[in-house]
Amino acid sequence: MLARREVLQKCLALGSIVIASDFSADSMLFAFQEGEKPLPKPTPPNPLGPFYKRLTPVNNILRAAGDPGLPLTLSGQVVDARGEIVPDATIEIWQTNHHGLYDIDGYRYRGKQTVDTKGAYSFESVIPGHYPDKTRVCQHVHYLVMAPGHKALVTQLYFATDPVFEGDPQRNYAREPLLQTPELIRPVVLTGEPNELHAKLRFALCLERL
Amino acid sequence: MNMKVTALTLVCFLPVAALAQSGQQVKTINLPTGVTVQYGTMSRAGTQVATIDCDNVVRVWSTRSGELLQRLADGSHPPTDVEFSPDGRYLAVAYQLVPNEKGVLRIFDVNSWKMERELVVPDVFVLAFSPDNRRLALSGIVTQAWDVENSRMVADISPPFGGSTSLSFSGDGNWIATADGDGHVRVVDATTGKPRSTGTEFVLEPLVVAFSRDNKLIIAGGVDKTLSIIDPETGKVLRTLPKQPGLIMSLDVSSDKKQVAVIYGSSDHFNKVDHLMLWDLDTGAVLGDFRKPGITIVGGAFVGDHYLFAAESDDQLGVWSLR
Repeated sequence: MLARREVLQKCLALGSIVIASDFSADSMLFAFQEGEKPLPKPTPPNPLGPFYKRLTPVNNILRAAGDPGLPLTLSGQVVDARGEIVPDATIEIWQTNHHGLYDIDGYRYRGKQTVDTKGAYSFESVIPGHYPDKTRVCQHVHYLVMAPGHKALVTQLYFATDPVFEGDPQRNYAREPLLQTPELIRPVVLTGEPNELHAKLRFALCLERL
Repeated sequence: MNMKVTALTLVCFLPVAALAQSGQQVKTINLPTGVTVQYGTMSRAGTQVATIDCDNVVRVWSTRSGELLQRLADGSHPPTDVEFSPDGRYLAVAYQLVPNEKGVLRIFDVNSWKMERELVVPDVFVLAFSPDNRRLALSGIVTQAWDVENSRMVADISPPFGGSTSLSFSGDGNWIATADGDGHVRVVDATTGKPRSTGTEFVLEPLVVAFSRDNKLIIAGGVDKTLSIIDPETGKVLRTLPKQPGLIMSLDVSSDKKQVAVIYGSSDHFNKVDHLMLWDLDTGAVLGDFRKPGITIVGGAFVGDHYLFAAESDDQLGVWSLR
């Protein structure tokens, strides 16, 4: 079992942030949220990729009990380029499992939800694995965001903890060929005891109006 | 794909695997040291193969002599697609200027290698010539139809999201079939962009689409490992071929509309593209089956009574024949 100190060192080395014992996960996330001003410019697009699947069921719990991989909570808010909440946005995400494989036959690790009145969303998942064939460099989650009166957003979310970035995504983001800026790489907050770690990540989305 | 439609229209043909032929290597091209092929395409006559290589150079090779015919590079701008015109007179090369935003398309005369046209376009990952070479369809973040002679975009034919993964003009040049990321195959007017029907729905993404040369059929396939034969006018799936062995990455219909060559990928090893099969479109019988672990098939063409294709392995580009 890893000691707390070892976990801290490991996470720092991976570019993630570990919450100090005096702060709760929620307060830390709130701090992140407060620190994140409404995005002045639209979220950069990123390719759809070949594994989008239509008719994804409405579901925000993508992780099943006993699934391998680090549990992950993805959350955020959908706003427009004026910083106004988009309360009727629909978010669809899809990703690989812990082993880097997509579910083509079914809808594992595929989910869809409509944001709440504050434009907020959240999904329960696991950190996706790297593709076994290395055709994609980084771990990622695909997003499709649609809302009436707004341009559809197709993008991907990346993890600051991805070993590819060697703890410095600001410097090493271009190791992922699909990234032109580090904007889509988000910090990961680790919570819980060393043997029950849970990752939390905020990804705010900004849509362009039509 | 609409499962109800599929169930109604599925025709179960039994593959005749015992009669299937395997491939024969007819030429070996030695690639420059350290160069690997990222994408490739063969001219319709099968005489040339153009590749986008890992050093951001487009190389054009003779499939008969193995000679390097041309080397095209544009400094720091990476090539993103390369396609021959149907008559083999031109080669279009798309370069990326600003990722996901802006690109440039250069059209070269294949005999003189003189650049005939240069179009400033969106960032392009897929392109297709019309049969008369006068128009182009292209897609990246958006999908558009272009008038090449007048260097202008004539119609935005973008799907609601996701762009298109494959484009094909009808034989008369009047229609463009698109395999779209949002899970549809659509047919649109090549001049106005007006849709011909509501399109064909797939659950998983269609990755490739091709018109038969008589314009009467569209063949489409993709991640669902199904080869669908579609009525271009209605968008209805007329029938499907027997279950396919992998993700359908590329397909090519013979000019007599009797055969289709299908190149397969693997869903867990996306770069493992080592399997090609020839199918009889009418009976669903297997006419040829080529699989060679360790190679990557990069493109091919029906030439006479056989299918000629290029495949990379171990610093070499092999030219193979399957009949």
